[in-house]
Amino acid sequence: MEVFSDFQCPACKTLFLTTNRRLMDDYVTNGKVYLIHRDFPLAMHAHSRVAARYARGAAQIGKVEPVEQALFQNQEKWEQTGDVDGTVAAVLSAAEMTKVRALVKGGTLDSMIDKDYNLGQTYRINQTPTTVFHCKGQTYPYSGAMTYDILKTFLEQLLSQK
Amino acid sequence: MQSSPFNLRRATIWIGRLVLAGIFIYAGYAKLTMGMHPRPPLGVALSFFALQVDSYQILPSWGVKFVANTLPFAEIGLGLLLLIGWRFRIWATLVTLIMLGFFVAVVRSYALGMQINCGCFATPEPLTIKTVFRDGALVALALLMTIFAFIEARKPHPWSTPEKA
Repeated sequence: MEVFSDFQCPACKTLFLTTNRRLMDDYVTNGKVYLIHRDFPLAMHAHSRVAARYARGAAQIGKVEPVEQALFQNQEKWEQTGDVDGTVAAVLSAAEMTKVRALVKGGTLDSMIDKDYNLGQTYRINQTPTTVFHCKGQTYPYSGAMTYDILKTFLEQLLSQK
Repeated sequence: MQSSPFNLRRATIWIGRLVLAGIFIYAGYAKLTMGMHPRPPLGVALSFFALQVDSYQILPSWGVKFVANTLPFAEIGLGLLLLIGWRFRIWATLVTLIMLGFFVAVVRSYALGMQINCGCFATPEPLTIKTVFRDGALVALALLMTIFAFIEARKPHPWSTPEKA
């Protein structure tokens, strides 16, 4: 599963907080499903690329999960103030934050974000969140948030394919 | 009063029958095949359609599953019944009610600014103002077809033998 997401998009927040957390617990941690986060910062969102940079930086030091959680949970706050740095700093230690800031200022993360964005364009994605399911050589793109119960039924069907 | 064989009402009924039957059969088929070659397993297609029904955030889970598992077959069945013409007014009324249901769901989602796919033909198609107008036009056609069918049914068939005075 590839989830093309924008940290400033409300539907992406809903998907992450209500569905993908449970998905990770029930399907990803036991290896049934591979879940890949793809950055797709929309131009209409002023701070989403900055947030994507911080999340990427946190991923480089193995701290993506708490940062992703913090960014989505506090979305309304930082999108008003633009204080992405402060939101991330609240869940990382000082040493970790120094490393993340260095990575963000280093300017190398943008190429990774652009790579994801370009990949999304090859799938003709024009809205977030869009989840692209891959199974047995077939591709199933789906746009919008999903209820866990309904997603689970779909995943069980995919996984039951011989 | 006798109806002429070719009047505007009869023409509307025929256009409605052909257009709505074609759309219903195609929509049901597209949901079952997802426009893919080879066709995905039925369970995968139906559960994927359930995701699209769910995205409208109108029905509870059991309702979403019920609609997803029955609607594609109902669309094909109703499309065929419209073409055949057997008990036409019953199926025309049902098609009109279903079209009204789709239209209400689409207008609601558009008005709420929900960034979802229409799910009309099981392919990724963002729900836009174009979708609202298209569905509105189809509802109008279904309504006219059904109303005219009831009006025409009250008149003697144009090809029947005229009653002697």
